[in-house]
Amino acid sequence: MTTTRPDGTVTVTVPVARPAAPPAAPSAPAPSARADSPAAPAVVLAVCDVRIRDEVNDREIVRGVSFDLRPGQAVGIVGESGSGKTLTCRAILGILPEHFAVSDGSIEIAGRDIAGLTTPQWTDLRGSTISAVFQDPASYLNPSIKVGAQITEVIQVKSGLRRRAARRRALELLTAVHLREPELVYDQYPHELSGGMLQRILIATAIAAGPQVLIADEATTALDVTVQAEILDLLADLRERTGLALVVVSHDLAVVAQVCDEVLVMREGEVVERGATADVLYHPRHEYTQLLIAEHEQYGLDRYLDAPNDPNDPGPAEQRKELDGVH
Amino acid sequence: MAVSTADHAVVADPGVALAAAKARRAAGRALVILARSFAIFAPVFLVATFLTFALRAASGLSPATLQLGESATPDAVARIEQQWGLDRPFLAQYWSWFTDILHGQLGRSWTNGAPIAELINNGLAISLSVVALALVIGVVLGFGLGTLAAVRRTTWIDRAITGFMTVFSVMPPFVVGIVLVTVFAVGLGWLPAAGYVPTSAGTWPWFTHILLLALALSLDPMADVARQLRSGLIAAYQENYVTGAIARGLSPRRIFLRHVLRNGVGPALSVLGWRFPTLIGGSVVTEWIFGLQGFGRFANDAAQAGDVPEVQGVLVVSIVLVVTFNLIVNVVLGRVTPASQRGV
Repeated sequence: MTTTRPDGTVTVTVPVARPAAPPAAPSAPAPSARADSPAAPAVVLAVCDVRIRDEVNDREIVRGVSFDLRPGQAVGIVGESGSGKTLTCRAILGILPEHFAVSDGSIEIAGRDIAGLTTPQWTDLRGSTISAVFQDPASYLNPSIKVGAQITEVIQVKSGLRRRAARRRALELLTAVHLREPELVYDQYPHELSGGMLQRILIATAIAAGPQVLIADEATTALDVTVQAEILDLLADLRERTGLALVVVSHDLAVVAQVCDEVLVMREGEVVERGATADVLYHPRHEYTQLLIAEHEQYGLDRYLDAPNDPNDPGPAEQRKELDGVH
Repeated sequence: MAVSTADHAVVADPGVALAAAKARRAAGRALVILARSFAIFAPVFLVATFLTFALRAASGLSPATLQLGESATPDAVARIEQQWGLDRPFLAQYWSWFTDILHGQLGRSWTNGAPIAELINNGLAISLSVVALALVIGVVLGFGLGTLAAVRRTTWIDRAITGFMTVFSVMPPFVVGIVLVTVFAVGLGWLPAAGYVPTSAGTWPWFTHILLLALALSLDPMADVARQLRSGLIAAYQENYVTGAIARGLSPRRIFLRHVLRNGVGPALSVLGWRFPTLIGGSVVTEWIFGLQGFGRFANDAAQAGDVPEVQGVLVVSIVLVVTFNLIVNVVLGRVTPASQRGV
């Protein structure tokens, strides 16, 4: 399989297809002018002190999550199950389960506050500005429709391309997500493909309309380790080539460390630690983060393979290597 | 990509190899459906016809008793049975009867010697008209009501539809038939109360003559389709691929029509498969009420008279109808939800 690494040695021939029409974003910069300097690109996703409440038992499940995302950036959210990371993602996508609601804080996608969006406005926004891939890719594709047709559908609906052009674009996308024999895969049903292939296809459907932000919610959790590494490489690769901004959610620190510049560590609905990936990994301040890292050191395979690296100032390559192992 | 420019016969050309692989897979799918259908049809047909033919031996009926009465001499009985070929070994009789069936011959009636295939044909045209119309009414209304209930689930609309469908499903067609005749034919005089007019006499008269009966028969399939579709759609809406489609930015309308409907329609379709025999069975009683000389009436008369070949003919035709209808349902199901073919 393709072994492109995220650190520059990428050799991809087919560029990721962007939509024919330019994305709508540049016309609407964030009203609060979040950009630090005039040169910095506009914030594509601004999450500000978001709180999510379960309206049935009136409990606050997520208690204040904040982060900003610019094109080409990647932020990771780490935490055990039930820590509220998935709910945060769903709130950003506007697909919170019934009886959950954002009770406080604000979310802005490409400068637009999502609080008052109508269903048609949401439909416009999703896919073409923000999109998502999830755990268990097989279940997120329609079992009765060939995978190629599911990608073509998105392109036809969101980019307004005709059938043939959309098909060509879909095949380009399948190549871009490193699927071999895209022509053959195009006409297969989800149940005929493996988990790793399905996750690539799900990514292809998610980026088909050229979104600016992609949320990967436990996107590699159900996959085996080598496939997981390949999918993460693919995400990093897309980010590098197309300026896609990523939100990577995982229970696994190593996954997040491999792709993201910034990490949020969540526990029981609260962000207990937040910072640049290297800082959080090598100088964890909160005891929960320390525990997560200690567990990695205790159970990771690296311990058996070689002596621990110098924790003071390892280069980025070593960082990655250290956390790239078996979980 | 270069799509199958196979003129050069270059085996290693990836385009050709790809086209070949695609063709193989498409042919494979079609072949699997065909083979599966045949594998269902053939044994069912064999076993059912065998049991049907054993009916005469089991019932102890004979054309001789029909023609000569109870007091016939054994000699006369033996002579007549020999004329009908009933003195031959059982399996030989079965074989010639079975091969006749394959040629479309159902033998001759014991009572009047007429070819049974023709007798059944007349009645079948009437009954199939009625059943087809009942199915159309049932499927269309059941589809609409089931969809409405699913889309408006847990509202009063859903509750009303579900309630009515439950009532419909427990009302026997003959009771509904009597009520309909009393109200619309006898009371209001809008529609004829009985009789049948073939389509050759005009579509409208044909339609009005069978409408009430079809309505009476349609309630059952309507209730079934509506309830199955409702629960199928509701289940499909809870699947992850709906969330996926939303996240991809597809509109609610498109998600319903292209993603939910397709996966939720399965149970409703398969329930039609086993509703069909009930419809044909139900027509026996209802055809009496509406005074139609249909297939059901013919079956009833044949059984009353003890005319075994006629009864056998009725059974064979029923088997073919039911199995064929189920095959069609299966093929449609396989097209709509390919994953169901693997039991996924």
